Amino acid sequence: MNNLFFIFIFVPILAFILLALNVLFSVHRPDEAKVSAYECGFIALPGQTRSTFQIHFMIVALLFLIFDLEILLLFPLAVTLYQVSIFGFTIGIVFFIVLTIGFVLEIGSGAISLVNIEQSNNK
Amino acid sequence: MNKSNLIENLVGLIFNLADVLSIILPVLLSVAFMTIIERKQLAAHQRRVGPNTVGYYGILQPFADALKLILKETVIPSQSNKVIFYLAPVSTLVFSLLGWAVIPFGQGLVLSDLSLGILYTLALSSLGVYGVLLAGWSANSKYAFLGSLRSTAAMISYELILSSAILIIILLTGSLNYIEIIEIQQSIYFIVPLLPVFIFYFISILAETSRTPFDLQEAKPDLQKIAGFFTEHSSVPFVFFFLGEYSSIVLFSCITAIFFLGGYNFNEIFINESIFNLQAIILGLKTCIFTFFFVWFRATLPRLRYDQLISLCWLNLLPVAVAFIILIPSILITFDISPY
Repeated sequence: MNNLFFIFIFVPILAFILLALNVLFSVHRPDEAKVSAYECGFIALPGQTRSTFQIHFMIVALLFLIFDLEILLLFPLAVTLYQVSIFGFTIGIVFFIVLTIGFVLEIGSGAISLVNIEQSNNK
Repeated sequence: MNKSNLIENLVGLIFNLADVLSIILPVLLSVAFMTIIERKQLAAHQRRVGPNTVGYYGILQPFADALKLILKETVIPSQSNKVIFYLAPVSTLVFSLLGWAVIPFGQGLVLSDLSLGILYTLALSSLGVYGVLLAGWSANSKYAFLGSLRSTAAMISYELILSSAILIIILLTGSLNYIEIIEIQQSIYFIVPLLPVFIFYFISILAETSRTPFDLQEAKPDLQKIAGFFTEHSSVPFVFFFLGEYSSIVLFSCITAIFFLGGYNFNEIFINESIFNLQAIILGLKTCIFTFFFVWFRATLPRLRYDQLISLCWLNLLPVAVAFIILIPSILITFDISPY
């Protein structure tokens, strides 16, 4: 069994041991007010969180998917840059040009600016 | 299986355990001391004394805090998803501790010398987001949910900057192995040719560990008093988030020291010929520089607004990062530099 495999087993076990210690040593006296959701000054309404949220967060997540994939696709080029030399680098540049056009379109469509979304919500 | 085989396996297991413990225990201790260092240093910045009662100069304060939090009651909200509610803090802690498996503390002093060590680190730092996301979702409280949305969006945005900065390091080393990155810096530390890269790299790890100019889950007045995505977590699950956050601060400081300050190398003054292996201590000192920076920024800088945070990442830092991804290989190709 190699060490990496062992640490993958050991660290979760350590975490669960700490949880078990807490269950052993601490009191556990829940009451209705204690186990209700946090709310400032009045009784929490159930089901408020499984509803809608601002589209902005979803757009950021989508953009992240594309850009992170793009940067990870460049890792092989970065490792072998000296072997592939000018040819591989040219392909990388072409890749970046296409990507930059897409990025400019995204900025132009206002996908990233949160302020515009907030202002349009206020109207 | 005969008896000697069994004994051999058992001895192997014990050695594995010793290896893993020799990494994890110092890391947990360093995380504990990181909390007290932060409090003492913030106190020094504000000309206070800071915690000074428990133990000498208050150095036993984190242990007292941890014991107190273990004895506290765990409150599980009735409407939460119980399993995910427990798994989210556990996953935060586990993923930040697992990152230490590939950090070299000296020549050959590494738990697992992966040839793809950097990809391993990147993967684990991406997985760290799941703890935040699941914690906010499973608590089923709207404040926790809002806090986790903000944290998640900020963390995944800044991860782009982090991976582009690392990509530039890879361009200069041609290897994904930590030890090779350290050995190649024997001639010059990467902070000298790559100073601008270091700046946006450090901004991105500040955001990635959600430290103070970017700890936006706590920024707006509605979330200020209630700690963002772990509003509903108490006692040990809360400790896990806390440990995970501080462990990733120390881990990222250590990785920064490896990438930009040459890791365990310090050839100018000290060549590793002594009986004691001082390389790990040198890496520790270099790590301390960056942990000092983390707390220093917390004491100095005001927070950004949330929309400023997102637009700083996407409109300012990302174009700069992309520009450097094109500039650095252009220089390498044009002047036919082979760093390796």
